[in-house]
Amino acid sequence: MAESEKDQFDDEDNEEDVQPEKKKKIFSKELRCMMYGFGDDQNPYTESVDLIEDLVIEYISEMTKKAIEVGRPGRISVEDIIFLIRKDPKKYSRVKELLTMSEELRKARKAFDEIKYATTK
Amino acid sequence: MEGLNSFNETKQVGLTSLGSPSDRFNVSPSSSSTSHGVKEKSPRKSLSGSESDAEKETPEKQKSKSPSKVKSSPSSQDRKRKAEVDEETRVKNEKQEEDRQKMQVLVSNFSEDQLNRYEMYRRAAFPKAAIKRLMQSITGSAVSPNVVIAMAGISKVFVGEVVEEALDVLENWGDSGPIQPKHIREAVRKLRERNTLPNMKKKKVLLS
Repeated sequence: MAESEKDQFDDEDNEEDVQPEKKKKIFSKELRCMMYGFGDDQNPYTESVDLIEDLVIEYISEMTKKAIEVGRPGRISVEDIIFLIRKDPKKYSRVKELLTMSEELRKARKAFDEIKYATTK
Repeated sequence: MEGLNSFNETKQVGLTSLGSPSDRFNVSPSSSSTSHGVKEKSPRKSLSGSESDAEKETPEKQKSKSPSKVKSSPSSQDRKRKAEVDEETRVKNEKQEEDRQKMQVLVSNFSEDQLNRYEMYRRAAFPKAAIKRLMQSITGSAVSPNVVIAMAGISKVFVGEVVEEALDVLENWGDSGPIQPKHIREAVRKLRERNTLPNMKKKKVLLS
């Protein structure tokens, strides 16, 4: 019995089960830094970090499920995410900003590579 | 005491560096319209709309037959619209520049504690690999990198909202020290009421 439980925990698809003992925490380190950055103590309580991790995983799961239904069913595109977020100004502007910056970085990298190619030729 | 000060500062920094939400909300669509090639079609569409107006006016032109009307409404309308758009983007760029300079002044006056916290605030991020894995396990199909970037960003904003609300709760209840799960749960309850969290667990029955 204990072995089958261990097998379950090794499976990475188990995010929402409520199991006793150890549950794999995938965000612990980054989440601690994040909570400190947002105003918590430098050493936040482990229970708080765990709780927020569960909340984040639930949030991502819910958004993903909703996004799958919107637009082209069965696939997720950025437009779906933007559609789901449209009512929330903070998140909406953050997504727009991230995508714009990511595009700019891509262009810059491409231009840099082209320059490199031209000069090394 | 210093800890409390730094957390107050951080909250304000957190809010201002995101920009005032309505501010960013207005800035981003137009700024993205100037940088993304695809979205530039929308201002052009409105310009072509004015060209159809121009076609209606040409019979009038022929009637009046005045050469001065060569500079008539269609091209001047185009020019006006273009000037407006340019003006808007220039104003917005100026505003962004101003915001950036203000942030620079603010950050240059931070104490060491505040600098640490600000550094964590900017740098902390969810690992893209983990998010990609999580999303793919739910969808069962591949997820494009842009989607992962967007989702990681949204999740960080989400954590920020919860933590800031929990800090408010903590203050209101007169507690001190690190955030406890009870504060977080109360914060989530408040956020759900404001409808900023997706609520799939409870089905809301409107008319029964």
